[in-house]
Amino acid sequence: MDPHALAEGLSPGMTLADARARLPELRAEHYEPDADATLMGRLLDDFGRFTPMAALDAPHGLILDVTGCSHLFGGELALGQAVRARTTRLGLTARLALAGTPQSARALCRFGSGGLFSADSARRAIRALPVAALEIPDRDTQALKRAGLKTIGEVDDRPRASLAARFGAVLPTRLDRLLELEDARITPHRPAAPITSDRVLLEPITEDSHVETVLGDLLVEVCALLERSGLGARMLRLRLFRVDDGVRWLEARSARATRDPVKIARLFKERMAAEGEALDPGFGFDHLRLEVVRSEPLAAEQTAFDQQPSRSKALGDLTDRLAAKLGEGSVLRIEAVDSHLPERATRWRPTSQAINTDKASSTAGPTPVRPLRIFEPPQPIEAIALAPDSPPARFRWRRVDHRVVSSEGPERIEGEWWRRRERVRDYYRVEDAEGRRFWVFRAGRFGEEPPPRWYLHGLFP
Amino acid sequence: MSMPAYAELIAASNFSFLRGASHPKTLVLTSILRGHAGLGLADRNTVSGVVRAWTALNHLRDDGWSPPEKLREGGSPGEIAWRDDPLNTPALSELVKARALGFRLLTGARLAFEDGAPDVVAYPEDRAGWGRLTRLLTLGNRRARKGDCLLRFEDLLSAPEGLMLVLAPDRETDPLKPWLERLNEARPGAVWLGAVMHRRGDDRRRLAQLRALSAQVGTPLLATNDVLYHDAGELDLQHVMTCIREGVPIDQAGRRLLANGERWLKPPTEMARLFSDVPEALAETLEFLKRPIFDLSQLRYEYPEEPIPPGRTPQDWLSELVDRGLPVRYPEGTPAKVRATLDKELAYVGARDLAPYFLTIHDIVREAENRGILCQGRGSAANSAICYVLGITTVDPASHDLLFERFMSADRNEPPDIDVDFEHERREEIIQYIYKRYSRERAGIVATVIRYRPRSAIRDVGKALGLTEDVTARLASTQWGSWGADIPDARIEEAGLDPTNPMIRRAVDMAGRIMGFPRHLSQHVGGFILTRGRLDELVPIGNAAMPDRTFIEWDKDDVDELGLMKVDILALGMLTCIRKALDLMRFHESADYDLATVPAEQADVYDMLCQGDSIGVFQVESRAQINMLPRLKPRRFYDLVIQVAIVRPGPIQGDMVHPYLRRRNGQEPVIYASPKPPHDPNELQKVLDRTLGVPLFQEQAMKVAMVAAEFTDKEANGLRKAMGTFRGDGTLHTYEDRMVGRMIERGYDPDFARRCFDQIKGFGSYGFPESHAASFARLVYVSSYIKCRHPAAFACALLNSQPMGFYAPAQIVRDAQEHGVEARPIDVNHSGWDCTLEGPRGAPALRLGMRQIDGFREEWADDIVLARAQPFDSVEGLMRRARLPVAAIRKLADADAFRSLGLDRREALWEARRLPDDDALPLFAAASTRELGEELDANLPRMALGEHVAADYQTIRLSLKAHPMAILRPAFAEEGLLTCAEVEARRSGSCVRTAGVVLVRQRPGNGKAIFITLEDETGITNLVLWVPVFEEHRRVVMSARLLGVEGTVEKSAEGVVHLMAQRLFDRSAELNRLSSDHETAIQLSGADEFVHPQHPRNLRVLPGSRDFH
Repeated sequence: MDPHALAEGLSPGMTLADARARLPELRAEHYEPDADATLMGRLLDDFGRFTPMAALDAPHGLILDVTGCSHLFGGELALGQAVRARTTRLGLTARLALAGTPQSARALCRFGSGGLFSADSARRAIRALPVAALEIPDRDTQALKRAGLKTIGEVDDRPRASLAARFGAVLPTRLDRLLELEDARITPHRPAAPITSDRVLLEPITEDSHVETVLGDLLVEVCALLERSGLGARMLRLRLFRVDDGVRWLEARSARATRDPVKIARLFKERMAAEGEALDPGFGFDHLRLEVVRSEPLAAEQTAFDQQPSRSKALGDLTDRLAAKLGEGSVLRIEAVDSHLPERATRWRPTSQAINTDKASSTAGPTPVRPLRIFEPPQPIEAIALAPDSPPARFRWRRVDHRVVSSEGPERIEGEWWRRRERVRDYYRVEDAEGRRFWVFRAGRFGEEPPPRWYLHGLFP
Repeated sequence: MSMPAYAELIAASNFSFLRGASHPKTLVLTSILRGHAGLGLADRNTVSGVVRAWTALNHLRDDGWSPPEKLREGGSPGEIAWRDDPLNTPALSELVKARALGFRLLTGARLAFEDGAPDVVAYPEDRAGWGRLTRLLTLGNRRARKGDCLLRFEDLLSAPEGLMLVLAPDRETDPLKPWLERLNEARPGAVWLGAVMHRRGDDRRRLAQLRALSAQVGTPLLATNDVLYHDAGELDLQHVMTCIREGVPIDQAGRRLLANGERWLKPPTEMARLFSDVPEALAETLEFLKRPIFDLSQLRYEYPEEPIPPGRTPQDWLSELVDRGLPVRYPEGTPAKVRATLDKELAYVGARDLAPYFLTIHDIVREAENRGILCQGRGSAANSAICYVLGITTVDPASHDLLFERFMSADRNEPPDIDVDFEHERREEIIQYIYKRYSRERAGIVATVIRYRPRSAIRDVGKALGLTEDVTARLASTQWGSWGADIPDARIEEAGLDPTNPMIRRAVDMAGRIMGFPRHLSQHVGGFILTRGRLDELVPIGNAAMPDRTFIEWDKDDVDELGLMKVDILALGMLTCIRKALDLMRFHESADYDLATVPAEQADVYDMLCQGDSIGVFQVESRAQINMLPRLKPRRFYDLVIQVAIVRPGPIQGDMVHPYLRRRNGQEPVIYASPKPPHDPNELQKVLDRTLGVPLFQEQAMKVAMVAAEFTDKEANGLRKAMGTFRGDGTLHTYEDRMVGRMIERGYDPDFARRCFDQIKGFGSYGFPESHAASFARLVYVSSYIKCRHPAAFACALLNSQPMGFYAPAQIVRDAQEHGVEARPIDVNHSGWDCTLEGPRGAPALRLGMRQIDGFREEWADDIVLARAQPFDSVEGLMRRARLPVAAIRKLADADAFRSLGLDRREALWEARRLPDDDALPLFAAASTRELGEELDANLPRMALGEHVAADYQTIRLSLKAHPMAILRPAFAEEGLLTCAEVEARRSGSCVRTAGVVLVRQRPGNGKAIFITLEDETGITNLVLWVPVFEEHRRVVMSARLLGVEGTVEKSAEGVVHLMAQRLFDRSAELNRLSSDHETAIQLSGADEFVHPQHPRNLRVLPGSRDFH
């Protein structure tokens, strides 16, 4: 809720419909905790510039332990300004508080108005904070307030034993931490090391086979790293540093997470073959680096006794290799779509994408016969039919006349009216005098204005 | 060219819920228009739609096709189906009438099995067959949960006698042969194989296969189109209904939808063309119709005979009961007038054979009496001397006009109507008694057809069309309340949507088409049907959602149509309240009365009502009624009957209220509208003399139609039906021309004629008959009497009967205080669960009960009372002795209920926090000693009064300590805001500023004004906002709990004060100043339309529906 909305009298916790009733021009956006978390993660890494001791205070806070760091920025005040400047540049609104312990700073920031505090001023400020700053369960906060104890100071003035008897030992502890009587350090965040492996070579190499050998070594290391962290690679990048400063790189993708060095090596080999001359080692590569660009969790796999890979795995490996060789968009498979319209009943999908496997839940019985080969778009034909439900007696397609000798139909399919107005189609399976079988349809009803048009939509074997 | 003969024998109406897409009557009319010889209506596992089709056919046979409707100006839902039909003409109407006479309607059901068997359509050939079918469906219904029916093929095979069976063509269940053979074995000679030509590609090949199969098994082939809707254009609606049923948006529904739109009522020529390969299948439809067919008119209803002792006839048993009752009602001897009336009534009852009906009601009422449950009858037959003597009603015929006489003299063939209201908390006992007495095979609750309303229609249709919840919610919320027939563009714009957007347009249009369609069946609030024979051989019975309830598949209109006896067992909150009040009076004030013996016609009671002092009183406690009381000035019982009925849609829409008031106050002469010669100029005098020449009651409006517009019995019956049900079958408008035209023709003032019909239209949205008003008026009088003479008992009983009525506990308590009752706070040493009376006899004080505490449980309160042999002296002691959980103690502390222990809310809470967990240490528990040591005084800060008040409101929704406004008063006074009392005292026309907490917001009838009631420590102020002011301050009105107002005082001649608001301010923030920790929760009245959208029946004046059913 932005300041403008608050000024209009909306408040958090209100239902959207209520808010709309008051403010019809309201714009609502979905709350995306994942996106927020990603942003905070990036921010955390970025704020590593101020101190190595940075931690996330989920969901929307950061805690920096700047003990011994502030002089680097010219004192605490200057450090504060630097942090504020940084957040402002990133387009964020931030409230900062600097105090003796992480807990007190956090409380002053979240429940007070922030600022720089000395030990004394912090204690005073904290005593004035509302009891919510204790961050005990809501019921307990409520109980304190109901008892008339509304600030930390008022709670602090009661005997600790009385408080512990009512709210458990946690309350005195919290109180002590807030009041800087006890210090609990933060656990800093350390960015995960990227999975990567390097080889610096004494002699530059130029031959593909040498590159493959080095790659094989790198792969063994990388795959071991992957296994240790329970991951599988979906995308890897091989950087090849040329002696004369140029960098070449190759990428390999897999439809499924993998840490099988042989498979990955094969994918790279296909890529290298596809690149061919373009790889151009020049005077040779003296440094190779393999990095895992994208990875997914992958549990350890148990192979069967007979060591035979499953069929689907074999097929997956094949399509991966083909895709590596020909490019992502070149290896497709057919996906069934639940629709009466023949041209909408199937759809092409890259093999690397997950496929929609849920079966059409039709109650309309089995789908009538469809030809294997379908023209898209349907081919206009000239045809003559005699009566409402009768098939064409003859038709002309690509300047050839066909006389219909036998037929079956009609199969009527209504257009999908919710997309656009389409004419109803009457499909016929027809066979001409030469024994060729066609799938034709009439768009529009018999006797309708404008007159119906005929199309050829497919061929039966 | 002559038309081929054909009858469509498998048609599903929209009672095949979310499958069929046309009303039953539309199917009947369409098939007649298209020249079919008959129609077979078979809905999926139900016969809930057949009575409608049957009624529609009867109607067409009698009257032909009613003229088409003119314009849709709101009106009621069902009209939609008639909209697209071709223009009607008198000639066409005659043709329809002629064809309808020879038209045959088959009423059966399509049996869909759960065990993979193909669907079988079953039509009974005689009464026994019908009984078999309904028993079969009952079996399936009772096996399943509510709304479902689990049938097995075996069920049908085990008892197929009297049924004609058509195996429905279904591709899913190929091969059909084994099924068909089994069916044919079970019912040789009465099995058919259905065939369809739905343009599926291989139609002809399949037809040949079916033909071969039918020849092989020896069952004739029957041509059908397996119809789902009446016209080809309804396919899109059927698609959307499929999506709703399957719960998928339309672009993902795929092959769950019909591939094409072939399943409509095709004309015979088209069917003949499609079935040209097998003409015998087409001809078979006519052969089918030639067989004996069961017609619903063969259902003979028989009254149950339980209440009649063996060897007695119902009539002489009734006479004897009447004779036995007389000395009770008239200890000083029966007045001659009453004796004469009784004889006349008994003769009438005898002639119409109605004695068992009265005896059944009597039996139920007697049972209630034995259990000490208060009840009262109402309705046309209830206002008879018989009912008074039998103790069914308490309106003494000796001293009041006899309404039943009017009923008897009306030569209508109308079933008698008695609804019995029971205490709402104990009605279930009566319902279970009825089940027990008549058994579940012979007693069932009538169904209510839940139909699509604007809100539900747009929600479901929008979802099916793929609109997001957000958009549909906005569209749905555009309706004020949940009523209205259409969604106008202006409303769509109001929701911030574009009415020209095709998606929105389509959703709104389709919602309009689906409106009025049945969605599912539910149980009626209390309409029982009782039979002598097995009920499940009359109509299928199904499980209700509530445990121990079963209901039949027909609703009350169907039941009326078939002339079945219905007894309405209704719940009325006010009866609970009155019974509790009478008990309290007996115990605390030595005033021993029952409903009938409360002293009648007491002047002080009427004085109180004349002042508009009626908070809590039955029926006349709403704002509109309170305003009417000083104007109507009721002085005798019949005035109350009028008071109850006058603030209703009928008289208001008919503009009859003001004329009546003027005549009553002598400002206008009492003249009777009269026709031109040669008609009797005084013909309306008899009808209208009780109401000074102004029709106010539904019966009068009817009578005006019969007398002044010369409606025949049949027309009048039709009119009664059209307006009698607020759901309306959309035929009311058809009477407009007839009634208004004929009245003008006969020389009546056109304006009067139009107003009479407007009034009937008003009754259409909620009719209010005199016969009900009379019974209600009795309860108005009794509750007024109690309020007037025993205000403490009245308030106590009202509080103990919550939720009911118009006002929240805060107002009830306050009203009692203003009537001199001392209200005492909840206290652990004095209160029970219920509110109680204590202190001096004659003028007791009201002690609030723990039921007022939010979230408190009755059993906790009971435990406290049981453990209270000696007063509690500590929080811990209370907890241990009453074995309460800590949560209960905290709630009590929160409610400030420890004052008698010397602890205020804050101290009690602090103490309660320290209590051990719920499972006490065994050692302490065994010793039952204190576990906690003494502790130093925590010296908590003192709690301010404002904070106490806020906390009171939060925990018990009211405060005896102060009104929130009283605490805020200094600040408001400084601003120059007046109190409500000061506003009241100002002259008419003064400009004032005031503020108060919002009690209720209403937007009555035409919606041109919004009424808001504000309250402060001195009283209430009634605001009137004209729509422009409302629109300008919409946000404030919607959200403010404390409202500041600037406006002009307006005072009526009777002294009723309104404040015409010009500017409004949201001052809710002031409430938060009372306490930062408690939200001062001002409880809005149950009648608030912003929080509780009202049913149109209740929209204007009625209390919340809980009170009324």
